[in-house]
Amino acid sequence: MTPPDCPVFPFKREDPFSPPPQYALARADGAVCPVSLWNGKRAWLVTRQAEIRELLSDDKRFSGAMADPNFPTVTAARVAVDKNERAFVGMNNPEHDRYRRLFTREFSVRRMQALKPKIAAIAESLIDEMERAGPPVDLVAMLAVKFPSLVMSELFGSPYEDHPFIIRCAVARHGLTQSAGEAETKARELADYVLRLIQAKEANPGDDMVSRIIVEHVHTGHLTREEFAEIGAMILRAGHDTTTNMIGMGTLLLLEHDDLRAQLAAEPELVEAAVEELLRFVSPVQFSPRRVALEDVEVGGVQIPKGEGLFMLLASANRDEAVFERPDQLDFARDASHHLTFGYGIHQCLGQMLARYELHILFNTLLRRLPGLRLAVPLKQIRFKHDMQIYGVHNLPVAW
Amino acid sequence: MSTARVKVSVDTHRCVGAGQCVRTVPEVFDQRESDGIVLLLEELPPAQLTPYLQKAVRLCPAGAIALQDAADYEAAT
Repeated sequence: MTPPDCPVFPFKREDPFSPPPQYALARADGAVCPVSLWNGKRAWLVTRQAEIRELLSDDKRFSGAMADPNFPTVTAARVAVDKNERAFVGMNNPEHDRYRRLFTREFSVRRMQALKPKIAAIAESLIDEMERAGPPVDLVAMLAVKFPSLVMSELFGSPYEDHPFIIRCAVARHGLTQSAGEAETKARELADYVLRLIQAKEANPGDDMVSRIIVEHVHTGHLTREEFAEIGAMILRAGHDTTTNMIGMGTLLLLEHDDLRAQLAAEPELVEAAVEELLRFVSPVQFSPRRVALEDVEVGGVQIPKGEGLFMLLASANRDEAVFERPDQLDFARDASHHLTFGYGIHQCLGQMLARYELHILFNTLLRRLPGLRLAVPLKQIRFKHDMQIYGVHNLPVAW
Repeated sequence: MSTARVKVSVDTHRCVGAGQCVRTVPEVFDQRESDGIVLLLEELPPAQLTPYLQKAVRLCPAGAIALQDAADYEAAT
């Protein structure tokens, strides 16, 4: 596809439950689509699942180094944080694997399974709080934000009362409207916060990730405190904002689909398939992963010059007609587990099993405890996160 | 999908510990306690697991799982 003028990216959504309509048009036209960015640079949207999987598996021809000046961005603020990215999310191999492997066992399936009783107790206690407050309540404020914060506090060791600060830091990175200075300051503040937490845990260890990593990797010389602080900041941001948005959007979708909600309430064991389908359908991460072509490359028959940036549109891959039948239909009967919501390749989400178990427990507990759950306002009063790089809802007033 | 018995191999250097294989076929895959990297429990699983093993190959983000026909493997060894 060679349009006379490149459209400006990002695009606007028309339907709050679907990605921008340009994605489907681009998929029909070809695997990649050229766009113009805020800074006038050209970048390429990769829209189909097959090519996204191929590119994210190809470390030879595509770089994921965020500090690369050619790394494509959707805002000036993103440039400011990308150039300072020191965590493995922004590294290529072999550096990436060296650091990621220090943290993989903390997120293993077995470790995450062991956390389930605590996750379940957190879900119950937050719904107790909602009941005490009485309807209507904002489910985003009372559940979607607090639930992952309490889980991360338990796992990571960050005091729960610090979560509003952590969330402000995450939002300063994930927004589309903040200034570069604001994004850079909040990135610094969060890394400094984790550094202080590391120092506090060295003096007074607990049963948490920070304390374990100190003993296993900092005191053995595998990881400096400063490196750990940058990685810890990434883990905190990722652990808070993404899950919050899946809970908000996932609950809204359940409320908008009476049949699916009834099906899941009647058959709680359906929750694994339901969560995979909700992950596919919502695809909260909008403008990542990104890559830079390290040489002139051909993708889906289109020549991409060395040094140009590419956006892997996960939300588009998750609506790819070649992979999912009736992709715009939310359907708990399908096996959606090959969605790309957690990315693909070496950078695929480290916390994905935690996210899955959080969502399984949260949705089942919510439907069991509050079977009469409903929206307390008309849908048009729900504010969708058109202003964020991680999509979701800002508010979700509910009654029961 | 094929239901022929397969020989499973894993590449611990490529593995990134995402846990997709453990989630999909816990009878065959686990993660090392030391570093969360893949641990193969069963090289020649029963044929009824083959479709799930094929799914694990597709879900593995790092291309760290390979399957070959068990009969070919046994003939060659």
